[in-house]
Amino acid sequence: MTETHRPRRIPVWLAWSIATIGLWGSWGLVSKIASAGLDAYVNQLLYTAGLAPLMVFVAITVHKHRSEERSKAHYSGIFWAFLTGILGGIGNIAFFEAMVKGGKASVVAPVTALFPMVTVLLALIFLRERLGRTQWLGLALAFVAIYLLSA
Amino acid sequence: MRLWLGFAVLALVLWGITGVTQKLSTNRISSERSFLWFCWAMVALSVSVLAVAHPHWGLARMVVLCSIAGGALNGLGAWTSFRALESGGKASVVISLISLYPLLTVVLAVLLLGERLSVMQSAGAVTAIVAAILLSIETSEKKREVA
Repeated sequence: MTETHRPRRIPVWLAWSIATIGLWGSWGLVSKIASAGLDAYVNQLLYTAGLAPLMVFVAITVHKHRSEERSKAHYSGIFWAFLTGILGGIGNIAFFEAMVKGGKASVVAPVTALFPMVTVLLALIFLRERLGRTQWLGLALAFVAIYLLSA
Repeated sequence: MRLWLGFAVLALVLWGITGVTQKLSTNRISSERSFLWFCWAMVALSVSVLAVAHPHWGLARMVVLCSIAGGALNGLGAWTSFRALESGGKASVVISLISLYPLLTVVLAVLLLGERLSVMQSAGAVTAIVAAILLSIETSEKKREVA
């Protein structure tokens, strides 16, 4: 069986991960270029237009696999996804506004990429999760990074 | 605090909250369905934004194209990150690796937009990326422990 499968030079998961870096890394660049001529609200409007083709593709995929049970958990999951979109979209507007107000892409992108620190803090405060040493170090470095980047 | 920094921190806080709400969603429904409803919320927000936005037809083609490309790039990035996790990549490795994306933005902005960083800001960018990786590693380990 192994004879029929040529060994892959690069694992599939690594290829997808590198693609993600390329896509998200480029987003910061194009957002800065767009912010030179658009206000943050129009930018969000056009951003959603750019998202539309992928939305159609995902909608078709979901439609094909619509066997999920319409339980209370299902609707609760939709609620949280919708809230994620609203908060994420307002976050986008703030991200664009940071660039409109003169923030460099090379500074705004690293600052905003620290968002996991908030997730971790929320887990610490509301879910009473215990933080490991690596996480505490990451949190401390995140604050140092914001201070340095704002200099 | 500088105004741009205030907005950047606001984005950081809101996206940080979505880290929790997204988890609450994908614990209940598939990541595809969750992503679809995330997109519907974006559409709803954008329709609401029309009330305050003032689009006009004199916009430069380049900025319009970059803005539309932004939505496509960010959405596709979310999709490829799901694929990376579903195609056998360890969450701790995949999420840490993906955390390197601001490094590419820094390189592109310096090379293509001619942005210049001070020594402090350069140190800050590197520190931010290391911090994001450390936060991701621990979060993934915790998830594995729970599983």
